[in-house]
Amino acid sequence: MTQAATNTSDTSASDLMVEMHNVNKWYGDFHVLRDIYLEVKRGERIVVCGPSGSGKSTLIRCINHLEEHQKGEIVVGGLPLTQDVKRIEQIRRSVGMVFQHFNLFPHLSVLENCCIAPMWVQKKPRKEAEALAMEYLERVRIAEQATKYPGQLSGGQQQRVAIARSLCMHPDVMLFDEPTSALDPEMIKEVLDVMVELAEEGMTMICVTHEMGFAKTVADRVIFMDQGQIIEENAPEPFFNNPQSERTQLFLSQILGH
Amino acid sequence: MIHNKETIPQRPAPKGTIGPVAWLRGNLFNGPINSIFTLLGLYVLYLLVVPTVQWAFIDANWVGDSREDCTRVGACWVFVNARFSQFMYGLYPSEEYWRANIVFAMFAGIIAWMVIPRLPFKRWMTLFALLIFPVIAYVLLHGGYFDLPRVSTHRWGGLMLTLLLASVGMIGALPIGIVLALGRRSNMPIVKTFCVIFIEFWRGVPLITILFMASVMLPLFLPSELNVDRLIRALIGLTLFQSAYMAEVIRGGLQAIPKGQDEAAAALGMTYWKRMGLIVMPQALKMMIPGIVNTFISLFKDTTLVMIIGLFDLLGIVQAALSDSRWLGFSVEGYVFAAFVFWIFCFSMSRYSQYLERKLNTGHKH
Repeated sequence: MTQAATNTSDTSASDLMVEMHNVNKWYGDFHVLRDIYLEVKRGERIVVCGPSGSGKSTLIRCINHLEEHQKGEIVVGGLPLTQDVKRIEQIRRSVGMVFQHFNLFPHLSVLENCCIAPMWVQKKPRKEAEALAMEYLERVRIAEQATKYPGQLSGGQQQRVAIARSLCMHPDVMLFDEPTSALDPEMIKEVLDVMVELAEEGMTMICVTHEMGFAKTVADRVIFMDQGQIIEENAPEPFFNNPQSERTQLFLSQILGH
Repeated sequence: MIHNKETIPQRPAPKGTIGPVAWLRGNLFNGPINSIFTLLGLYVLYLLVVPTVQWAFIDANWVGDSREDCTRVGACWVFVNARFSQFMYGLYPSEEYWRANIVFAMFAGIIAWMVIPRLPFKRWMTLFALLIFPVIAYVLLHGGYFDLPRVSTHRWGGLMLTLLLASVGMIGALPIGIVLALGRRSNMPIVKTFCVIFIEFWRGVPLITILFMASVMLPLFLPSELNVDRLIRALIGLTLFQSAYMAEVIRGGLQAIPKGQDEAAAALGMTYWKRMGLIVMPQALKMMIPGIVNTFISLFKDTTLVMIIGLFDLLGIVQAALSDSRWLGFSVEGYVFAAFVFWIFCFSMSRYSQYLERKLNTGHKH
């Protein structure tokens, strides 16, 4: 993503895009994230997997402060994530997020969904925002649906629009929160194809997903989480062929075994 | 095994399943019980409609200027006719009716402009309606400027007053309600507590009490030189009362918007007010149209309660006219007329809200 690269080269000299040091989070008494230590370099593709309830979604939702962590330090693009609303908004502008249930704005057309943040957050004129939106809609191969409303699209199409919507903000990092889990099987591929292309263009990505094929093709590192902890972390090839921990082995045998 | 190599072409539906006769058979006479209910319903309708039409139209008296012109067999619309201008303007001086008429015409024009989708400049029209029109209306109705004689507010009345109370109440209650609803959902404890107390106070007190307090009690507390007009006090009371109801309607709508919408907007870096204004509120308002219009309709009818503090709205002036010794005994006509006028306005609002719902529907699916 050339624009994303030029966008940030001046803001951060550091090579680390996301740093999570000793991050802990509780829901009431429940300890969801335990001593998370994770560093993601610019251009790295990370896949996070693990059983449900293991805290993987919570982990990536902490990065753009959709969830608040109670202990530890998170730094995004060189900026420490604090309680300050301005800082949070600043970080969110540079972090794109794609949700399991797409969360497109149903009252806005596809084009407006993509324009609204560039226009209202980055204060781009409408013409420019629309041109930008069309460019990204073109890239996710859905430009011909630009005037439709999300309710008129299939799940796969909606998710591709959601990706385009995030890209319109020229994010430095993209977070994917189980982007294909809510999709019918025949639509998973069209979304994964877009994600693979994005990865090939050098986008920094953190993906929570169960698509192990995707992990094998694009991930630089696979992270396995269980009970709020990072259990194992490795390049995909050794991760899948030679998992170290028992829990990873069990998990992999369960999802790959059938 | 392949069943069909080609798509089966569309064929017409079998005879007897479409058309008016088929509709009757399918919906009104499909079985003995349904047929009995249909016939019974038609009979009841006949019993109700025929005498009503007979009374209201066929036997009714329309022209004249005193009770002697009425035969008393049917409705005496002469009464309504003779008092019509009072019903519209209250005790507004008749030589100044033209001022009220201009305001009426502008009001109707604004409504028509906003409602007819083809007309352009809706945004400017809204600004005009909210900022400039009230000033014009005040100057014209109240007078005291540009050589217009003053007409103090206690002479305003009739439909004019009803419309004034209702429109100010609606236009005031909606934004205040939105702010209160957002405040009640806020994480800030002081804002939240204030909104909860405000809403619960105004919702827990009958409107009559509020109007009564505003007109009788308030002057006792305020310094005597601070003499706020009675109409203004009623307007403030009515608006705050309705805004509490509106707040709860809006809060209900806000709760129906999935959290993911706010999260998606937040993830794009939008501030709280942009998230609310651009993403959450437009969707919530669309879902709340039936609830909002319901509140508007009840507000429109609640305006009749200003009678209690001596303001003569449409119903109040009709009642006052009924006690006129020259027109004793025409209360049915008076109330039917008042009911009809109220019904026209409330029904129009209801229809327009249904139209809006259809128009704003974008195949909503979360």
